[in-house]
Amino acid sequence: MTTPLYDVKNVTLRFGGVTSLNNVTMEHRRGEILAVIGPNGAGKTSLFNSLTGVYRPQEGSITFDRDGSTPLSVIGKKAHRVASAGVARTFQASRMFPAMTAFENVKTGAESHRGFGVIGAMVKGPATRRAERASDERAWELLTFVGLEKQANVVSSSLNYGARRRLEIARGLATNPTVLLLDEPAAGTNPSEKVELTELIRRVRDEMGVSILLIEHDMKLVMSLAERLYVLNFGSVIAEGTPDEIRANPAVIEAYLGAADAGDEKEGR
Amino acid sequence: MKNFFTSPLAKRIGAMVALVATIAVMTGPPGDPTHPMAGFTGSFTERVSFFGLFPAPRGVLFAALGLLAAGVVLMYRRQAQPSVAKLRDKVVPQYHALAAKKPVRGLWYTAVLLVAIVLPHVVTDPFWQSAMVSQIAIYTLLAIGLNVVVGFAGLLDLGFVAFYAIGAYVTAWVTGALPVPAPFHHVIDAFWAIPVAIVFAMIAGVLLGVPTLRLRGDYLAIVTLGFGEIITIFANNLYGITGGSTGSKQIPHFSFHLGSLKYLWGLDPVPYYYLTLGFVVLFLLIFSSLEHSRVGRAWVAIREDEVAAESLGVNPLKYKVMAFAIGAASAGFAGVMTAGQSFFISPSTFTLAFSINILVLVIFGGMGSIMGVVIGSLVVQTISMYLIHTPPAGFQNSDLYIYLGALLIAMMIFRPAGIWPSKRRRREMTPATLEGEAQ
Repeated sequence: MTTPLYDVKNVTLRFGGVTSLNNVTMEHRRGEILAVIGPNGAGKTSLFNSLTGVYRPQEGSITFDRDGSTPLSVIGKKAHRVASAGVARTFQASRMFPAMTAFENVKTGAESHRGFGVIGAMVKGPATRRAERASDERAWELLTFVGLEKQANVVSSSLNYGARRRLEIARGLATNPTVLLLDEPAAGTNPSEKVELTELIRRVRDEMGVSILLIEHDMKLVMSLAERLYVLNFGSVIAEGTPDEIRANPAVIEAYLGAADAGDEKEGR
Repeated sequence: MKNFFTSPLAKRIGAMVALVATIAVMTGPPGDPTHPMAGFTGSFTERVSFFGLFPAPRGVLFAALGLLAAGVVLMYRRQAQPSVAKLRDKVVPQYHALAAKKPVRGLWYTAVLLVAIVLPHVVTDPFWQSAMVSQIAIYTLLAIGLNVVVGFAGLLDLGFVAFYAIGAYVTAWVTGALPVPAPFHHVIDAFWAIPVAIVFAMIAGVLLGVPTLRLRGDYLAIVTLGFGEIITIFANNLYGITGGSTGSKQIPHFSFHLGSLKYLWGLDPVPYYYLTLGFVVLFLLIFSSLEHSRVGRAWVAIREDEVAAESLGVNPLKYKVMAFAIGAASAGFAGVMTAGQSFFISPSTFTLAFSINILVLVIFGGMGSIMGVVIGSLVVQTISMYLIHTPPAGFQNSDLYIYLGALLIAMMIFRPAGIWPSKRRRREMTPATLEGEAQ
């Protein structure tokens, strides 16, 4: 077993007197689809923001290792620095660049990690044009991959919810990440879109070799997709294991699954 | 035949001919009020030395220079031809259709440029000839520069005048027109002050940008406003360095010496007009490629959603500082033009009202739209100059801002995105029409 992709040790994150994450330890193994579940307010998104450098936990350590030989200590690094190290993410309420077309959204992701070249951009030098073309090809490839090629020219804010989710995934993939962090990818999508999304996430891992870490409320999706899960409650990890182990864990049933089932019924109404 | 006129090759040749002709006219002899076209025709018929070999008409010299430039460009283009097939054309026809510029638009631009070239030979009134340089062309340069900061990167800069002042004072400094001696006691030409002033303005932009661009919106506006005031106060109070409120000594006119090419700009505003026009066109080309490049898209991304942009690895601070430095450089350049043309500068020019004036041009034309900003500058500055030249009864120069204010309010009501808004800004401001643009 090589070193894990993400190695999170004893992370504690506080906002004033509120402890959002309490001594969280977890690891994300290379190539796996890992899920973090937990009731509302359990600290899932805080964990995501800590992993991507948006928040800065007061205690503990987070190490991201892209290829097993270049460990990066995430805490204290800026979000863009963590992103260029190979971490892509989506957001809970999807965050597109609303006035850009779907194509431009993905292209922005594809070229963000390329060099600087402001002079080249001014005079449109050969290197710039080659880079443009490469980004165009990559963006097109990814739009096709997520099945949005017909909507390439649609302004992203007029896409429907499911399409936006897929577009966000394509934009994240455009940065050539090692890991893709998905924050509630199925929120606001309808049942058929959910099936498509599950399929897409699996394909991202299988065909592109990108590891997946996801937060999700939809238990059906999580249980069918994830290979391993962590359960958070009140900022602490209360369980870890395969879907079957989690289903059978009494602490989880008490803290989360019961409540989530009730929640699902409410949603389904 | 029709295909030829719209082919890239024809466009390149056309652009080259236009460029060479513009340079020829720009550097040619000035006309005079009695023979308005003399300068224009003289630019091509005047006999000059052909690279020091033999005398020839200027037209021949510039045709040779044009051929040389065309050859260089063609070689460069051939080299640039990527080995990958033109994949974008094949796989993204829709995208290509969106990005393709209509040939009609190119014709329009050429026509406007031709009008601009002929204009000083038609408008011979000395007031307007001088206003065309110092109040319209230079303001257009400034507005194009501020548009990079405000329109592209979305940063509200109320101290833009600071960089303009830096450009002007650096010019005065290197030409020996300030109480402090020129650097290394070596006085240089106002023309060669251009690169020096641009570098100084960029440094000032970076120095101001790095600490302050972490701020957002209103806070940034306040800090830049303060910076503008600081520079003006420095200019006023550092008597021993800047000459204080009395301003600089006489700044020599532009002159250009390079090999057999030699030109001296004198009191006549027309040659300055051509020089500034040439640089306006150059800045337009550079900034419009910048807008449609990776850098331009990064600016849009940061403007629309900074958190999302950062999650893609875009460093917001880096790109904001870059926008600031580019804007500062063009303001610094405009400062050189002003200093060289008016041969005297004093702190009373560099006021907050000046920054606001430039901002009005940008907002009026349409933030983020280069052509809009040019139109905005032309319209607003022409109105201002008209009011000053032929004032209505009881009009005083200080009343100008009442008129500009009224104009701006009317704009905000009827066309909030500006006269000629950019496609993207329009999408940002009117989400209701988005469905119509979707295909």
